[in-house]
Amino acid sequence: MSWRDRPALAGFALYLAVALLPLAASLVYGGLYSLGIAGLLAPGATLAYWSRTLSSPELWSALAYSVYIAAAVVGLAVALALTLALLLRDRLGAGWLSGVLLLPMALPGAVAGFVIFQTLTAAGVVGRWVAAAGLPALTNDRPGLGIILAHLLTAVPFFTLLFAQVADSERLTEFTALARTLGAGRVQRLRRVALPLMLRGASSSIWLVFVVVMGSYEIPLLLGRQTPEMISVLALRKYAMYDLTQKPEAFVVAILYTLVTAGLVTLVMAPGDRKGGRAA
Amino acid sequence: MRGAGAVTGRGQAGKAAVAAVLAVASLAAALAAACRGAAPSQDLSALGWEEIAVRARGSTLTMTMWQGDPYINAYMNGYVVPALKRDHDITLKLVGGQGSQITAMLMTEIEADQAASAIDMVWINGETFFQLRRIGALYGPFTDRLPNARYIDLDDPFIRYDFQQEIHGYECPWGNVQLCLIYDTGRVSRPPMTREELALWVSDHPGRFTFDNAFTGMTFLKAMLIDLAGGEAELAGPFDERRYIECSTRLWDYINGIKRFFWKQGETFPVSVAQLHQLFVGGEVDFTMSNNDGEVDNKVLQGLFPDTARAYVPSWGSIQNSHYVGIVSRSAHVAAALVAVNFLISPEAQLEKMKPQVWGDGTVLAVDKLPPVWQARFKELPLRRHAPQRSEIQARALRELDPQYMIRLYEDFRSHVVAR
Amino acid sequence: MAALGVGAACLLPILFLVIRSEPGRWAAFWRADPGLTGSLAVSLAISTMVALMATAVGWTAGRFVAYHRRRRALLLLAYVPFVISPVVAGVCLLYFYIRIGLSGGVTGVVAAQLLFAMGFAIVFFQGFWNEEKRALEDLARTLGSTPAQIYGRVLLPISRPMLMLCFFQTFLVSWFQYGLTLLIGSGRVRTLPLKVYDYLGEANVAYAALGSCLLVAPAAAVLWGGRWLLARGTRDVS
Repeated sequence: MSWRDRPALAGFALYLAVALLPLAASLVYGGLYSLGIAGLLAPGATLAYWSRTLSSPELWSALAYSVYIAAAVVGLAVALALTLALLLRDRLGAGWLSGVLLLPMALPGAVAGFVIFQTLTAAGVVGRWVAAAGLPALTNDRPGLGIILAHLLTAVPFFTLLFAQVADSERLTEFTALARTLGAGRVQRLRRVALPLMLRGASSSIWLVFVVVMGSYEIPLLLGRQTPEMISVLALRKYAMYDLTQKPEAFVVAILYTLVTAGLVTLVMAPGDRKGGRAA
Repeated sequence: MRGAGAVTGRGQAGKAAVAAVLAVASLAAALAAACRGAAPSQDLSALGWEEIAVRARGSTLTMTMWQGDPYINAYMNGYVVPALKRDHDITLKLVGGQGSQITAMLMTEIEADQAASAIDMVWINGETFFQLRRIGALYGPFTDRLPNARYIDLDDPFIRYDFQQEIHGYECPWGNVQLCLIYDTGRVSRPPMTREELALWVSDHPGRFTFDNAFTGMTFLKAMLIDLAGGEAELAGPFDERRYIECSTRLWDYINGIKRFFWKQGETFPVSVAQLHQLFVGGEVDFTMSNNDGEVDNKVLQGLFPDTARAYVPSWGSIQNSHYVGIVSRSAHVAAALVAVNFLISPEAQLEKMKPQVWGDGTVLAVDKLPPVWQARFKELPLRRHAPQRSEIQARALRELDPQYMIRLYEDFRSHVVAR
Repeated sequence: MAALGVGAACLLPILFLVIRSEPGRWAAFWRADPGLTGSLAVSLAISTMVALMATAVGWTAGRFVAYHRRRRALLLLAYVPFVISPVVAGVCLLYFYIRIGLSGGVTGVVAAQLLFAMGFAIVFFQGFWNEEKRALEDLARTLGSTPAQIYGRVLLPISRPMLMLCFFQTFLVSWFQYGLTLLIGSGRVRTLPLKVYDYLGEANVAYAALGSCLLVAPAAAVLWGGRWLLARGTRDVS
């Protein structure tokens, strides 16, 4: 192993020890719980919880709804952020704008949800105009617009700053200048140089946000409806139920969620993979 | 050079993988070999109260409580904590936590064989009490050992029974509340008193009424369920499936009949009573409700509700129940916990708590059992201005039902009302 | 023009919070709970520690992942903390932490928060290490630099902006971590967010807004302070 790689390996080993191992063990424990093997009131190995949960429609609608919300948030956030990053690239950097952009990022999910609810609910500052104009409600609504907006509040600034950084790091200016000298038009430069460069550099962060939005809890709790509900809301509702013997069902939902998101991430990362792994 | 690098790279990854597998395996093995930790010896049965008080001195207690109300926090932080420190040299630390959170934590502690629990006292209501009893997380019976327990009104069925079952001394009553509907006299001139009047009112004012999907809303529905069943006696005692189906069908028919006049056309309901309060304050709905009959006074004093807010109990009645304090079975400071609970049910602490400007929580003490000087002080309490007097609404107080009714209401509300 | 619009849009939520929290109440609120200053200090310490460690790990481990042959597999491992549902990550993790004695203390809370912070940092950085950085390293090495010099004088300066952004984000990941901190700390480790989160869910909008300000203000201060440091550093270099 080259001397240069020692700190890198050490870093990854630390991650392995502190994060992956306990989480792997937790997943195993959660699995045992869902099978009725582990747990204080465990009845002994059984597939009953799995079959009951898998056959309930609320689980599948929760999964589908979560994917929809995550896709909507990421799609809109990336589109908006790309536009902003390209438009304002020279203003960002060390300027006041990037400082201001940091502000919404300082809002945790619960606060973003609170702000959106208070402003957009029918009695809120903005909501009353929306209601007066006869537009559909923006909170506790079926398409989950309130949920999406609350997530966008933090996602768009983050992505904007990230895309700006990536553009610098991937030398966007040089490449677009090169493309222009080679005769590429504006749209072509955008489509074939700027967008791929920025998306490639930020892709892993983009999918991370997708995963995080899928599993979000406080925002959909406040701004969503009883049905459809997002997957973490469902899991925690099942976990907090009065009947303690139903707890394993919550673990079934949790494990299914893990499998689905892990599967999605694996699928998505495969085609977009860059050939960056040459060892020597 | 390239080949050597490739081999080294693969070798490193392989070594890391093997190491990881071994680590997980050994971790699992180590944990499977359960090392039973012994709970600290807390056999206080031989000790008298004075000895318990002595043992309690210098202890640090951790108590979980709902911290969402600044007035309750002020009562605890500003009155209870200093008094315990001053009179008994006990340091009380207050920690946020309620209901299922507490159960989850204690359950995990037991599953992981933790010797001494991280918390000592818990502020709970009936649901949590039964869950904790189920997993053996409560210490007891202990209420009989508390000197101040002789003042507790155990003849009052609302205090002695929790969710239709005896508490057997495993939790100590702390306060007593009754559910009330809250409205603004400026917006609503005649609040509906019967179910028919309510149905009429919502159809005349669409979108202005709702209730929450959580504890308070379900408690509101429970009272209606009892009324539709024909009275308390019908649903008393253990859960009866047949009777439940009968009454709940009538309940869902009634609700579904007027659902379209609710807020958001009854397609969704506020997720918590706090959200319902916010809708009320914002003017989006005209009614809210609270499990605590004294809460409206409190909220008006806070400046949250308008001065024109009033609370009342409709003619079909509402649930009255007590809330309790429990001691964790694996607590390392049981003696101090006993002293602390004893203080909480002392006449002075209960009187302070009952003042409308402090908390407004009903007392669990039988005032006529108290020494005359205390009786006088209780009678001198300022009258409630926005909340109904207890004497007025006592006649319409209903007892909590068996826990199973609550479970079914939660589930069936989702499937029979929300999902329709 | 667009910049002004964007700037205004970013300021609006904060303004809303400040106005809605009725600043007249602030003094009373602070007085009502004497532990707030202490928990502020604790929270800042914990989050700074977590952010520093996570950024360091992300910077190095991200490099390990990016240049590895099995890059994709290793990257997927970095997603694991986010892919695991809070139900499992919370209660099951608590079970193991109790068993190994990590529960109820600051160490446990730091370790639990590092779970998410490190995963985030690795994902964040592995998009950063590309062929060009690699070429730079090789160039420096052929020119005879020692490893320390390569890291210190070549890689570190060009990584600065990303390091700062990562520090900010991991700080926030830690600062806003509520559920896991409550469970693992068994309520004993009282961070400011923990104390304040209850107010967020409550009926009194003014208190909720005030709580939000308390949550957001220190975070924003750290973000800006770091930015200022970065700007100063860049000025020194040029």
